[in-house]
Amino acid sequence: MMRAPDAEAMKAIDSRLFEFADYDASAGERAGYSNYSYWRSTLGMFLAKRSSRLFLWMLGILLLFTFVQPFLPGQRDPTTIFNDPATGMQYRNVPPGGQFWLGTNSIGQDLWARIWSGTRTSLLIGLSVGLAEMLIGIAFGALWGYVRRLDRVMTEIYNVLDNIPTTVLLMLLAYIMKPSFQTMVIAMCSVGWLGLARFVRNQIVIIRDREYNLASRCLGTPTRRIIAKNLLPYLVSVIMLQTALSIPGTIGWEVFLTYIGLGLPVSIPSLGNLVNEGRMIMMSEELRYQLIFPTVLLSIITISFYVLGNAFSDASDPRNHT
Amino acid sequence: MNSTTVLEVRDLVVKFRLRGRVLTAIRGASLELYEGEALAIVGESGSGKSVFTKTFIGMLDQNGWVDSGSIDFEGRDLTRQRTEGEWMGLRGRKIAMVFQDPMTSLNPLVPVGRQIGEVLTLHKGMTKDQARSAVVELLDRVGIPEPASRSRQLPHEYSGGMRQRAVIAMAIAAGPRILICDEPTTALDVTIQAQILKLVKALQKDFGFTTIYITHDLGVVANVADRVAVMYAGKIVETGTAEEIFYDARHPYTWALLSSLPQLGVKGQNLYSIAGTPPNLFNEIKGDAFAPRNPRAQKIDFEYEPPMFEVSPTHHAATWLLDPRSPKVDPPPAIQAMRARYQGRAS
Amino acid sequence: MKAVSFQIYKGETFGLVGESGSGKTTIGRAIIRINEASGGQILFRGKRIDGRIEAALDRELIQGIQMIFQDPLSSLNERAKVDYIVSEGLYQTKPGLSGAQRLSIVEKALLEVGLLPEFASRFPHEFSGGQRQRIGIARSLVMEPELIIADEPISALDVSIRAQVLNLLSRLQKEKGLTYLFIAHDLSVVRFISDRIAVINRGELVELADSEELFTRPLHPYTRALLSAIPIPDPIQERNKEILIYDPSCHDYSKEKPAWREAMRGHWVLANGQEVDSYLKLAPIPATEQT
Repeated sequence: MMRAPDAEAMKAIDSRLFEFADYDASAGERAGYSNYSYWRSTLGMFLAKRSSRLFLWMLGILLLFTFVQPFLPGQRDPTTIFNDPATGMQYRNVPPGGQFWLGTNSIGQDLWARIWSGTRTSLLIGLSVGLAEMLIGIAFGALWGYVRRLDRVMTEIYNVLDNIPTTVLLMLLAYIMKPSFQTMVIAMCSVGWLGLARFVRNQIVIIRDREYNLASRCLGTPTRRIIAKNLLPYLVSVIMLQTALSIPGTIGWEVFLTYIGLGLPVSIPSLGNLVNEGRMIMMSEELRYQLIFPTVLLSIITISFYVLGNAFSDASDPRNHT
Repeated sequence: MNSTTVLEVRDLVVKFRLRGRVLTAIRGASLELYEGEALAIVGESGSGKSVFTKTFIGMLDQNGWVDSGSIDFEGRDLTRQRTEGEWMGLRGRKIAMVFQDPMTSLNPLVPVGRQIGEVLTLHKGMTKDQARSAVVELLDRVGIPEPASRSRQLPHEYSGGMRQRAVIAMAIAAGPRILICDEPTTALDVTIQAQILKLVKALQKDFGFTTIYITHDLGVVANVADRVAVMYAGKIVETGTAEEIFYDARHPYTWALLSSLPQLGVKGQNLYSIAGTPPNLFNEIKGDAFAPRNPRAQKIDFEYEPPMFEVSPTHHAATWLLDPRSPKVDPPPAIQAMRARYQGRAS
Repeated sequence: MKAVSFQIYKGETFGLVGESGSGKTTIGRAIIRINEASGGQILFRGKRIDGRIEAALDRELIQGIQMIFQDPLSSLNERAKVDYIVSEGLYQTKPGLSGAQRLSIVEKALLEVGLLPEFASRFPHEFSGGQRQRIGIARSLVMEPELIIADEPISALDVSIRAQVLNLLSRLQKEKGLTYLFIAHDLSVVRFISDRIAVINRGELVELADSEELFTRPLHPYTRALLSAIPIPDPIQERNKEILIYDPSCHDYSKEKPAWREAMRGHWVLANGQEVDSYLKLAPIPATEQT
């Protein structure tokens, strides 16, 4: 049964409390407040994982060092060929240690300096391609997804471009244009944005008919502002993820193109060129360090981006915000 | 009405961990359920009414747990059940549930008849052949036309109302003692709603189970309930027979719920309304949870939590207004009008 | 949707009632031009507004007709702050405003719907359903519209919040002389707020009358079934009510096709001549009103 109120305790209550309290209508309005923030929760979830903290530190230090390295004291130029002052001969294939921290390559260039210079080049390619793909992909994908009239035309354009084998196109472009940094960037951008565009388009199709977008249409908001204010902010996290994942992908393509001889000119050190050089002398055991060092760095960069991208993707899903 | 207690809940506290913080969804709720009655639990979203009944069948979400209190059913304390095995003998067998969206209970890829048949083979030990004819009988009983051919169809071939009928057939298939209907008609049109409620009432009479309705719709409550429990912010604030709640409510929140209904309003005049929104259950609630929204709240409401005062042996309300030391507060006009109509009808 | 015709008068609340799938939402969306009508005409202030229209008229319509949506969770942009959401329409109607002017309009609109001006700098997820719905109302108010289409504006709200929003809508109507098209499935709500009610079934209007007239003298069997099913929050009445079921095959249209007829002054029904007579017999006109 219902328990009767405890008589003793009831009597003890000050009877002066039995009078009307002041009433503040706005207090009730304030009561519904919750301080959940999407970005704070995303960041919290992201940093809560030990692996993402670890890789974030690693990648952060690596990036910082890559761009600071040339300004540090005692660094050598990556393209200078060093001669032994005693013999006048080039320092060929000097093993790691002492004078050359990571040794030299077959024509006497400092491998330490070359690796960091190569990382710089590759990262620059990765970042610029990632950025360009992001801009093109978002613009194309947003129009494709939101403007119904354009849907058919843009789908056709996508299909045509998507059906050209990427390898063939990259080889063709690299062949026609002179091997250079710009060539690499243009070649890889030419098809790389397609994936992101389709992705953005699908996301926009999912959210474009939500009531808040109808509300914006009723208010006469022009399409470009609906895209900028109503749609893209919902996609920021996934776009960031896609771009983060495309950077290691691009670096991988650079290595591949260099490997098949269509990459950057050998005069520009890049991770691709370094791996390629290393590959040619891979068979002799004492020279294998020339392959191992750039490969290790390449792996660290690639894995870090992937792990961080995936961790961010998990963290940015509101369903995981518990 | 029979007064044997089927289920008794005492001082139940349910908590959830959400975004690193702890939310108290049920803040000490007590309730008795009597054999053969229809009890309606009324409350707004977030009042905890669904969570409350989910503890009866061990279906709290992963991040929730019963913190204290007990639920007695057939000599067992349900809050102590841990394993799925223990729940299996109970859930669907002794206590069944019908949800607002029939598709939560139906597998879209399996014919309706086979899904109901599985309940029969699992809980009643029927053979497949026995189950098949029993399913057709059940479907016929819940008012599905051409039950034999309908039983071979997939859920999406049913209309919304028929789907809910099929789910009801599935829920009563094992012959449960308690049927919990969680907003069973909210997603349906009014004409269908009336038919479904009528069906559940008729089934209750035939099969003799006890029904708990969870709803926010006082029209539904008036239609089906023998007894009503009003929930606010994780507590039961008033219980009583349907007559007592509708014609003689005592808690200001019940007043607000009733008198804000447009059916009871006078056209051209403002409806009675309460400002604000229910409290945030992450925060600790001091005193009466409804006090900040109550224009006639007393100082004590902000200091001490009101106990359950007895209005009649069947009618209890947790409000300091029932303390003899409180000043007299008249219910809103719509409540007074209802009471007057009732008394007029009675005399 | 079949051919549907009705007029909404200035300053009134016109209720449009129907069950799910009846086409009531489609009508509202055709008027606000989210959906295109495939035939017929829509006139606003006497001008045709469906199909292709001039830019000037387009601007006039955006300002003149606004909408309140059903679901307060999905009708606000979660990634924008309340001040942008409420002032969004001003970028079109009053492009020259300074930030401070815009903010003062937003704060005034928030006060008008019973919210605190300080809410302007917050995000929608911080608010409850009722508060969000009032933000949605404030958003349409800043446009100073003449007609507001309210599509199930309270059905997603909690019971204790519905009254707040209904009271707010009536107050705003009185203060600003608004006209409402109130679309809902809940007849008791529509009765409370509407001056006239149209009942729609499967894309066809079946009955239209002043709201009290419709409740005291429903003619069409569908309307009568709908009325009989309304839940009444009174146990004794509710348990004893008789529910009518509408059977579409009760109409015999083999001899005479149904038409939209004025059975009594201002009381329209979809029926043929013979049906009108029998309906009127079932619902006799009180002697005082016979002329």
